[in-house]
Amino acid sequence: MSLWIIDKSAMATFVANVMGDYRVVGPKAKGPQFAFDEIEDPAELRLDYNTSILPPKKYFQPQEERLMTFKRNGDSAPEAVIEAEATVIFGVHTCDLHAMRVLDQAFTQNFPDAHYLTRRRQALLIGIECLEPCDEHSFCKSMGTLTISEGYDLHLTDLGDVYAVDVGSEEGLTLLKTYSDARLATESDMQQLNRALSAKWPRFPYKLELDVDELPALMSQSYNNPIWETLAEKCLACGTCNIVCPTCFCFNVYDEVDLNLENGERSRRWDSCMLDVFARVAGGENFREQRSARLRHRFMRKGLYLVERYKHLGCVGCGRCARLCLADISPINVFNELHE
Amino acid sequence: MAENGNGSARPKVAFFDFACCEGCQLTVIDALQTHLELVEAVEIVQFREAMTEKGEDYQIAFIEGSCTRKEDEDRLRKIRAQAGIVVALGACAHIGGVNALANLQPSLQDVRQYVYGDKWDWYNTYPARPISAVIQVDAFIPGCPIDRVEFLSVVKQVLLGKTPAIPDYPVCVECKLKENVCIFDKGGVCLGPITRAGCDAICPTYGDGCEGCRGLIPNPNENAMQDVLLKAGLSVEQLRARMTMFNAYDPAQIEA
Ligand code: SF4
Ligand code: SF4
Ligand code: SF4
Ligand code: SF4
Ligand code: SF4
Repeated sequence: MSLWIIDKSAMATFVANVMGDYRVVGPKAKGPQFAFDEIEDPAELRLDYNTSILPPKKYFQPQEERLMTFKRNGDSAPEAVIEAEATVIFGVHTCDLHAMRVLDQAFTQNFPDAHYLTRRRQALLIGIECLEPCDEHSFCKSMGTLTISEGYDLHLTDLGDVYAVDVGSEEGLTLLKTYSDARLATESDMQQLNRALSAKWPRFPYKLELDVDELPALMSQSYNNPIWETLAEKCLACGTCNIVCPTCFCFNVYDEVDLNLENGERSRRWDSCMLDVFARVAGGENFREQRSARLRHRFMRKGLYLVERYKHLGCVGCGRCARLCLADISPINVFNELHE
Repeated sequence: MAENGNGSARPKVAFFDFACCEGCQLTVIDALQTHLELVEAVEIVQFREAMTEKGEDYQIAFIEGSCTRKEDEDRLRKIRAQAGIVVALGACAHIGGVNALANLQPSLQDVRQYVYGDKWDWYNTYPARPISAVIQVDAFIPGCPIDRVEFLSVVKQVLLGKTPAIPDYPVCVECKLKENVCIFDKGGVCLGPITRAGCDAICPTYGDGCEGCRGLIPNPNENAMQDVLLKAGLSVEQLRARMTMFNAYDPAQIEA
């Protein structure tokens, strides 16, 4: 829409001003790593973070959330509970912005999810362009997620002393104008931005040994590949890879009642298709009892099933799963091995 | 029988202990203090740790501790005969827990001498076992000690007439949901990938690797876990110690 410039020294004021009217969240240091969290002091915001343990999707689909309350005696109808608040999310990387498109589809198609959509509507996303690879596990360039042209309200690029701010929505523009002293970019600012964006490209390795568009076809031929059995020997079925993935959206619904057995709450929690009992259904049958079947299912979701359903790949190359998998199972290696 | 708020009879509940430290019962006492509704919901008729009365008319029995003596089997069977529902309370009753470490020693007589010195023959013993090795058990509350929230949840499920379900996924799930920095990334080791969740990953959250007190998940990949631990720098001896701290019990130890 339009390009603006904000001085880095003015960022703290911008953030502080926004904090007056919104919950502000963004990447903060967590020990040696980073996690998205509520910003209480603008100095905590670490726009220079490499990656976060969990993706920012937790602000739309929290790890655990109440869905409704009910009375066991059925005297009154259950009441929906939707906890949402106006939120500005700073510092979302482009891989995670791409992942939001998958989630938007998943929570809109067929059964629009009021809980997700209410939060989504009340949030503004401020992206930030990566100029260096976050670490050796990521492969965003291969997945086509190293940059993005929409899906944000504002998008920052670090130009040294200033940030270039690309406006992606009316709401974004209003936020910028209301809370910051950003100025419109000049011709020379635009040239500087273009230089930064073209200079970043060679810094990122292309890791996939095939074209990403061929990935769904490769996956559809890989159902009976022996790789699933091989990987299953070292996989712990710990579920970490799903939990940290920005495109995973499966959840489990459960009920809890008070000790007086009168009032109850229905809640949901993130689930993981790598877990032993994920595919267990009423009657006790588990249709993906083998770890190999679960691994295959997970990678089929990433490379094939979600494209069929949502027109977007289920993997954005963020590398979180590979980074945290104790068994060193990485999508890029799996895809490349299947391609051999 | 007294009534609870729901208008139905309050079930009579009794607590028993075998070889244990009574820490799980302390957690129950703690839960009774923080959740007064619990006292309304059930009628406690026997609880040596908390009261002097001793009612023998109970429907739900919570049993803490492992069975470590032949003569305790009769007591367990009597409880089983009386109670409609038997719940194993804590790691010792659930999986044998630390008591089963003795089973790994070459001779139980050495163990008795080590513990009781020259009075060793005053105390009888046999290989430690979870109570499910002696009687049928309806529900388990894992942990060393138990988690009070889980205790409440199991009580509620029993009151609702349901078979209590406990998590069958690993501690890693709870740990990652809390967005903890993984202990392996801090140079430590952790049994979270193969240990049953339900403790809200309390140890990794406070900086310690999981030692497996809640027992293993169904179908754990123990070989892969061992590879991960060896790669993280554990010696074979340290690996064995970690894997057996709470999970030393193996049914083969009591075949005789
Ligand atoms: S994180 Fe690794 S070990 Fe754990 S379930 Fe995923 S692939 Fe398996
Ligand atoms: S599969 Fe792994 S690399 Fe791909 S989006 Fe999910 S966490 Fe990131
Ligand atoms: S995967 Fe790419 S886009 Fe995502 S954080 Fe890493 S470098 Fe940035
Ligand atoms: S600290 Fe332990 S429980 Fe937590 S993720 Fe790491 S291995 Fe799993
Ligand atoms: S983290 Fe492991 S050792 Fe600690 S309470 Fe939970 S199961 Fe027990």
